Amino acid sequence: MDTQYLYSAIGLLALCVVICRTSYLVFGHHFPLPPKIRSALRYAPLAAITAIIVPDVLPWSAQLGPQFDLKCLAALAAIGVFLWTRNTLLVIVSGMIVLWSLRGLLMLF
Amino acid sequence: MGLRAIAPGLVALTIWGIVTGVAMSRFGLPEQASIVMSLLVYAGSAQLTALPLIAAGAPLWLIFAAGIIVNLRFIIFGAALHPYFKDLSWGKRLVAGYLAVDIAFVVFMPRFHDAPQKGTLEQHWFFLGAVIPSWFLWQLTSLIGISLGSVVPVSWSIDFAATLALLALMLPLANSRPIVLSILAAAVVAWVAQTLPLRLGLMAAVLVGIMVGMWAERQQAPRGQR
Repeated sequence: MDTQYLYSAIGLLALCVVICRTSYLVFGHHFPLPPKIRSALRYAPLAAITAIIVPDVLPWSAQLGPQFDLKCLAALAAIGVFLWTRNTLLVIVSGMIVLWSLRGLLMLF
Repeated sequence: MGLRAIAPGLVALTIWGIVTGVAMSRFGLPEQASIVMSLLVYAGSAQLTALPLIAAGAPLWLIFAAGIIVNLRFIIFGAALHPYFKDLSWGKRLVAGYLAVDIAFVVFMPRFHDAPQKGTLEQHWFFLGAVIPSWFLWQLTSLIGISLGSVVPVSWSIDFAATLALLALMLPLANSRPIVLSILAAAVVAWVAQTLPLRLGLMAAVLVGIMVGMWAERQQAPRGQR
């Protein structure tokens, strides 16, 4: 991995964090946030996180089209566990267990 | 007092830190770079979002844009915390903002939301009691994760835990119809558009997610008004 690229990326990410976390506390006196922008800002983070999760669990290959991955079932099971228990730690634990079990089952048959 | 309030959050932070540490080494970051990233960036969701982009060699502007987008929630947090810190010097506000991670916000706001006086010494100490242990624990657990990352076999797919951690972060926040619709729309776009170059699918998913969310909010509004 190219060191310069890597450290530039890290530096930029640190900048993102400083900008987002501190801008309002430091300059907030001058910028009231209009309600419309406030509500638009509510949707952006979850949409971005979704866009990171989806390609991992529902891969789409440029040559072969949509692919099936066991991770998709594991993620659905984890969502089910969350809806049932409301426990975020169990999301991680159950998702991993389901993925490992399904892989184990596939190896048996 | 802040420390006691944040204790359950610290358990979550432990898992989250280990997962992020493992992910950094899994995505091929050298140990030194992982440590620098953990010390400087100090933001699990931004790190986990950026890692696949960095591993894919995505352009720096896209990494920056993605980092800003997943951190946008902190602007909202900052706006909410502002009344409590507005009388401090700008240097202190800078430090307070930098340390204001999700968990700190989640324990601080419900407790002092209705406080008649905002910006008391008690509130500042509570905040520090919550954020300082969080920072140290995050660094410690990230280090543990980084060293675990090179030991755990690849076939265990530990990196999937990072994806699940992102899922665990967003599920409790998906608590209204517009937000759920916005996420579903973003998911469809992200699925179909993932072969686009430069991970433009991510930007498309965010734009569509915002539009659908605001549209659903407007659909809901007339029924809500009396």
